[in-house]
Amino acid sequence: MTPTLYELKNLKKRYDGRTVLDLASLLLHKGKILVLQGPNGAGKTTLLEIMAFLSRPTSGEVWFRGQKVHFNGDKLIRLRRNVVLVQQHAILFTTTVSKNVEFPLRIRRAPKAARGQMVGELLDLVGMGDFAHARAHKLSAGETQRVAIAQALACYPEVILLDEPTANVDMENQIAIERIIRQINQEKGISVVFTTHDMIQASRVSDETVFLFEGKVAQSTYENIFSARVETGERGMNYAVLQNGLRLRVDSEKCGPVRLSIDPGAVKISRNLTSGENAFKGRLVQLADEEARVRALIDVGMLVSVLISKEVFKKMDVALGNQLWLTCPAESIEVFQTFK
Amino acid sequence: MDFLVDSLLSAFMLIWSMDHDFLVIVYVSLKVSSSSTLIASVVGVPIGFFIAYGEFHGKRLLITILNTLLSLPTVVVGLFVYAFISRKGVFGIYDLLYTQKAIIIGQVILIIPIVATFTIAAISPIDERYRKTALTLGANLSQTASMILREARFGIAAAIIAAFGRVIAEVGISMMLGGNAKGFTRTMTTAMALEYDKGLFVLSVALGIVLLTVSFVVNVFFNYFQGKARA
Repeated sequence: MTPTLYELKNLKKRYDGRTVLDLASLLLHKGKILVLQGPNGAGKTTLLEIMAFLSRPTSGEVWFRGQKVHFNGDKLIRLRRNVVLVQQHAILFTTTVSKNVEFPLRIRRAPKAARGQMVGELLDLVGMGDFAHARAHKLSAGETQRVAIAQALACYPEVILLDEPTANVDMENQIAIERIIRQINQEKGISVVFTTHDMIQASRVSDETVFLFEGKVAQSTYENIFSARVETGERGMNYAVLQNGLRLRVDSEKCGPVRLSIDPGAVKISRNLTSGENAFKGRLVQLADEEARVRALIDVGMLVSVLISKEVFKKMDVALGNQLWLTCPAESIEVFQTFK
Repeated sequence: MDFLVDSLLSAFMLIWSMDHDFLVIVYVSLKVSSSSTLIASVVGVPIGFFIAYGEFHGKRLLITILNTLLSLPTVVVGLFVYAFISRKGVFGIYDLLYTQKAIIIGQVILIIPIVATFTIAAISPIDERYRKTALTLGANLSQTASMILREARFGIAAAIIAAFGRVIAEVGISMMLGGNAKGFTRTMTTAMALEYDKGLFVLSVALGIVLLTVSFVVNVFFNYFQGKARA
């Protein structure tokens, strides 16, 4: 059994009276890659900041390596030296790439002679060896992210926390960053926690995925999450009005501002004109192979992800750009009250 | 017109001749202004830093007061310091009146608000993520503070240069607290005022040229650092 690195119990974080994180329990085992998945505002960044000992939880307990963490005093600095957070839109200091990577070594008083070699090795590891003398602020988003990972590795951490490391990054850098995550985990034994919106990336890289929604661990993976306002319409039925004006009939009794999730497996698509409740005309914009199923992305004024069996897909004989009719049965829509 | 041209020519000749009295005045001015700028920077930069980064009650009021003090008249500072260091004052026993130290004290009071407010303006835009990055990379509080100051270095340099520009050109404090004693507390501005009173313009014009040159150089540096800070 791999030892437990983090244990979070009844963790809550409130900002201005609003609960942004409410976790009953979460574990991270040593040497594993944990992915935190969820939409914006799910509490992923807040959780990472608590795990990096940069932010104090409002209540609850954080245990690290079997020790309860007290979020005050000098001990936090010692704890922080085991964990490093690479923020989304990573920050590099206004100096050269190599001096940025050297910073953690310098503040740890690593011998000057050894620093140069360490910096060179770390930059090579992230594929940025040729940029050692470049000005850090001249780098692209993907390059910045890779240098920030090298800088984090210069802390020789036990855990590295990456907040959406591949957001706003081109495909080449995305592949490079995923490679680096796997490599540092497998070769250096560093535990990794990273956040992403991308389900496919999560399944590619992680040992375990936790889905956060509205600050809580969700039991299933919600997809097609939208903000909406539920109104009561004709015959007393409830309708969710999405930000683009789309009206969906929902079974929920909840009213006012909500977030809703449409189950991609329960949505139906057809090439023929479909009338009736929650039916919309759209265009097929993306197709992806997912083992026994095909994931189709339909643009109906917003992008809806749909999962259909390969058999059905073949029968439909559709191509990218085709017009389709999409039906979201009311039972495929789950409505969540937003945090107050 | 001839009078102005003659004065200018004589002034340039005076500068060229490196007249001893003239050089002493320039030296005293630069020495006093540099000392007060140095002291005000040592005090004003940390004040600006703590105001910019601290979260405390009355922060906005404090910033408003500092901004108000930017337009502090030099004669008010002169009068205020005089009240403390004159023979009847609390610090009268130290015999500071009409010394270079007295001018420095007055000038430090004048420019601490400049250094502090410009430092606040330089540090406030530094993204909160810089602090978090330094902390997560294992920096302690002083290492984090020095990293933030480093990021704001061009803005802080501009603050210090602006403060130097203010004191090198002031006349009220130097006159009231220094007393314009020749070779001792006579600065470029007080010498110019005296020569004007005497109706002798050559030395005034020569000092004016030096003062303008110093101001020009100071502004070149100021613009350079401000440009760097915005880059």
